[in-house]
Amino acid sequence: MKCIFKNKKVSAVISVVPKEEYRFDDEYPLVKLTEDKAKRFKKMMSLDRHRIAPPDVCASDLCLYGLQRLLDEGTLKKEEIGALVFVSQTPDYFMPPTSNVIHGRLGLSHDVICLDINQGCTGFLLGLMQAFLLLEISALPKVILLNGDTCSKQMNQCNRVSYPLTGDAGSVTVIERCEAENPIYMDVKNDGSRHKAIMIPAGAYRNPSTPETLKLHEVEEGMLINEEHIHMDGAAIFNFTMGDVPPHIDEILAFSGDTRESINYFLFHQPNPFILKQMADKLKISQAKLPNNIVSLFGNCSSVTIPMNMTYNCGEQLQRESQRVCFSAFGVGLAWIATVMNVGPLDVCKVVDYERA
Amino acid sequence: MDKIKFYEQLAKILDIEEVKAENVLKDFEAWDSLAVLSVLAMADSTYGASIKADEIRSVVTAEDLAKLVESKKK
Repeated sequence: MKCIFKNKKVSAVISVVPKEEYRFDDEYPLVKLTEDKAKRFKKMMSLDRHRIAPPDVCASDLCLYGLQRLLDEGTLKKEEIGALVFVSQTPDYFMPPTSNVIHGRLGLSHDVICLDINQGCTGFLLGLMQAFLLLEISALPKVILLNGDTCSKQMNQCNRVSYPLTGDAGSVTVIERCEAENPIYMDVKNDGSRHKAIMIPAGAYRNPSTPETLKLHEVEEGMLINEEHIHMDGAAIFNFTMGDVPPHIDEILAFSGDTRESINYFLFHQPNPFILKQMADKLKISQAKLPNNIVSLFGNCSSVTIPMNMTYNCGEQLQRESQRVCFSAFGVGLAWIATVMNVGPLDVCKVVDYERA
Repeated sequence: MDKIKFYEQLAKILDIEEVKAENVLKDFEAWDSLAVLSVLAMADSTYGASIKADEIRSVVTAEDLAKLVESKKK
C-alpha cells in the first residue's frame, strides 16, 4: 500500500541499550561450538559483541528511560505528549497494553491516546505510519513512538543460530507536525501466507503453554530450542530478503522520484551483516551508504535496529543537518516496508546506556 | 554451468580441500544451517539462482546440488 504523508516530521530520536555487553569470543563455549565452527560463524556473520538486558529489565524499561531523558533534558514537555505508541513483541504483560503501563509510570493526563502494536522487524516504520495518522487529530501535539524488544528472553542461550546475533534495545522517537510539506513516501507490504518463516509456535492461544511446549530439544548440534522460543526458517528468510526486498527498494525510489544518488543514506533493518552485504551488492549500493554494523556491535534488536542505525551511525550528522533517507525493514509477518523521507536536523539523535532508577 | 568452479566454491564453503560429485553432503562435518545459507547466497550472487528451503533439503550429493543450481540459473 503506497502512502504519502505531508507536513509531518521526526524531531528527536534516542536509543537505549543495556550496559551489559557480552563478547562472542567469551560466549561461544556456551553454545557448544568447536573453536573451528566458532571461527567460521564469527567470520560469516561478523560477530563481535551484543547487549543483553538483565532478567528484570523489560523493553518498556529501556523505552521509559529514553523518554525520561528527553523530559529531563528539556527536549520534550509532558504536556506535549498526545499519544504513546508502544511497538514490541516482548510486552510487559498480555494484558494491559504496555503503553498504558508506561502512561501510569509517567503520570500523564487522561487525555492521552495509548496504543500497543505487536510487530517486530518492520515495527519502527509501522509505528511511524501510525504516528503520522494520529497527527491528523488537530488537538494532538506530539506522538511518542516507543520501540523496544528483549528478544534474548525469547530464546535459549544455547541456541547458536539465534542467541549470538540477538540484542536488546529500546528507542523513543518524537513525531510532530511541521509547516513545510516535507512529503514522506511509504510502501507497506504483507504476505501472511509465509507467516511460519519467523514464529513462536506456542504460548499464546492457538497452541497454549504446557510442560511439553517448554521442553528443550536439540535440533542441531549447539541448538537448543522449545516451542515457546523464536523459530526461524533461515532459507525461507534468505529467499524473502533477497527476492522481495531489492525490487521493493527500486519501487519506493520510483515512487518518491529518487535515485541511488539522491539518497544520502539507506538505513535498513539489521538482521545480520551477511544478508545486508548480499543486499547492498545486489542493489549496487556502497556499504558506506548502507551501514551494516549494528548486529556486530549491539545485536539484532528487532524493530529498534533502524533507530540504532540512525543514532549510532548518523547521530551527529542528523543533529546538524537534513539528510534524505531511504528506510527499509523486512521480517516477521512476513512484512516489508520502505520509506523515503528527509530526516533532520533533529533536536536529539543519540544512543545512551540504560541506568536503573 | 562450470561444475568444476561450482565444486570449488562448495569446497570453500565447507572449509575442505576438495568436493567430488558423488560426495554425500550430510557426511561433511560443516554441512549445517550456516553452510546452507552460504550455498543459497552463492547460488544467488554467482548464478542468479533462487533456491527454496525444501529444495535444498531434498538434495543428497554434491552433484544433486550442482544440478539444482543449474536448473534455477538465470
